[in-house]
Amino acid sequence: MRTRILYATFKRNFIIQRRAYPLEFFIGKILSAFYTVLTAYFMYNLLFKGQLNDSFSEFTGTSDYMSYVILGGGIYLFVVGTFLNVSRSLITEMRTGTIDSLMIAPFDRVGYFFGNMLQQTFTTSMEFLLAIIISIPFGINLTGINIPATILAFLISLVAYFGMSLILAAGMLYFRDTYISQNTVFLAILLLCGITYPIEYLPQWVQYISHIIPVTTSLNMIRNSVILGMGIPEQLNNFGYLMILAILYSVIGFKLLKRIEKIALENNLA
Amino acid sequence: MIKTEGLSKTYVTKIKKGLFHKEKKKVEAVQNLNMVINKGKITGLLGINGAGKTTTIKMLSTLIEPTKGTAIIDDLDLKKDANEIKKKINMIAGGERMLYWRLTGKENLWYYGQIYNIPKDILIKRINKLLKLVGLFDDKDTPVERYSKGMKQRLQIARGLINDPTYIFMDEPTLGLDAPIARDLREYVKKLADEEEKGILLTSHYMNEVEELCDYIYVLDNGILIAEGSAKELALLVNDHKILRIEIDELSFELEKAINNICTQFSGEVKYTRREQHAEIYLTTKEDVSTSIATLLTQYNASIKKFLSEEPKLEDTIISLARREKNV
Repeated sequence: MRTRILYATFKRNFIIQRRAYPLEFFIGKILSAFYTVLTAYFMYNLLFKGQLNDSFSEFTGTSDYMSYVILGGGIYLFVVGTFLNVSRSLITEMRTGTIDSLMIAPFDRVGYFFGNMLQQTFTTSMEFLLAIIISIPFGINLTGINIPATILAFLISLVAYFGMSLILAAGMLYFRDTYISQNTVFLAILLLCGITYPIEYLPQWVQYISHIIPVTTSLNMIRNSVILGMGIPEQLNNFGYLMILAILYSVIGFKLLKRIEKIALENNLA
Repeated sequence: MIKTEGLSKTYVTKIKKGLFHKEKKKVEAVQNLNMVINKGKITGLLGINGAGKTTTIKMLSTLIEPTKGTAIIDDLDLKKDANEIKKKINMIAGGERMLYWRLTGKENLWYYGQIYNIPKDILIKRINKLLKLVGLFDDKDTPVERYSKGMKQRLQIARGLINDPTYIFMDEPTLGLDAPIARDLREYVKKLADEEEKGILLTSHYMNEVEELCDYIYVLDNGILIAEGSAKELALLVNDHKILRIEIDELSFELEKAINNICTQFSGEVKYTRREQHAEIYLTTKEDVSTSIATLLTQYNASIKKFLSEEPKLEDTIISLARREKNV
């Protein structure tokens, strides 16, 4: 991987984002963080009247629904952010007419995609932090957090989201569509990966699907580390499993993308 | 030197037949193309729309893979050494593509410089040199979205030179530009070949541009190379006739009849256009009839405003070549 391309792409995206959305971007970030917390608060207090079935504690190991759902919402922001930045990067280059000038160069894809992802991680982290600050009066509890486990879980998760977004990028490039592809995947993640409820509430066969989507394991690990304070040794199986998924998704993603790029460039002419 | 050897590209397209059925169709975009592009020369690639010009450029640019054949670029094989070839080439396209509009001119060049892994100190010097070369140095910190069409096109040229390529592929570089800006760009292109020894492959719909710039021209039709040579050589291939354009004050019936006679005698054609103040006569004949016509005009006391003997235009040549190919 060429770090110069990583840095250049990070800087390029940052400048473009700053120039494209100076005020709207900032307000949008605050609002989306606020909406995430507010939705969780209303669901818990108005829909569930502050009452949860015993099965929730049984499945999650905690009765702290607010912390559970705020973390779910925050991670969902990260997943969506990664997908929007990484998955859409090549099709955006195609639409803006810059894909030829990139591909004609000795263009390092790994550096390019990581640059896109890191820039996104930076901006989404700001959003996530804002969500956490806003969540304090709404009742998020971070007292039992295991910091090393949280950091490691978060880092492996980023690689896994990255791999997923490469596969989505290949799909977008092949079908020349962004909205239907990305929104279908967003909805599937929201419903299947335990963002607002434990996946154990889903039918058994659906749970099998949930487990092959890295977001499910990633969320479990982050919640276990933040809410339950579980350390790395207690979660080794989860860490290992997510690592395997992350590598698998990334390898498949890069291979698929290389093939689809060729098809997409030829379809541009045919 | 770039030498293509039987370069071919076949696309498979799908045509919708009914609701769920799609039929595959093979399109031979370029067939068995052999051409040479030399350093320090401008080579033209011409043809009517769909002739295979852009496909050829994209194959040479390593953007798409040839189905058959290859190209040798300074001893490197297009199919085997694509990564090395990428360092030696660049492409400049017409229109307003290939630039990031939210970035400034300088930032655009900086980003592409990073992609090409150009050492930092060389890159800074090269960016400044290129911005000066294309006359954008004073606007280097302005976002590209605020550039005029001509400025964007000039920045495109700078982008195409950022890796100091040996060969540049130019696909309609003056597309949609005003005449004075297009003229400036043509001058840059000429300089690149003459002074910087770049090998340039140029496609353009503007025949006067090709005629003015290109040392050698390849003509494609439906993916097949149908002719090659200098603009003059190509003209000779199809246009063995002479053109005479005359403008006189008054065209009498008798004079018209006399001109018609000469034309028939020399297997030519004549067109008359009568205007309020004058008449235009456009003659195409197999042999030079200028002396006979001049004598005739003097005999009839015609007041001559213009008397021009013209060479056939490249545009006419290309159209004739394509027509001739279809008839064959």
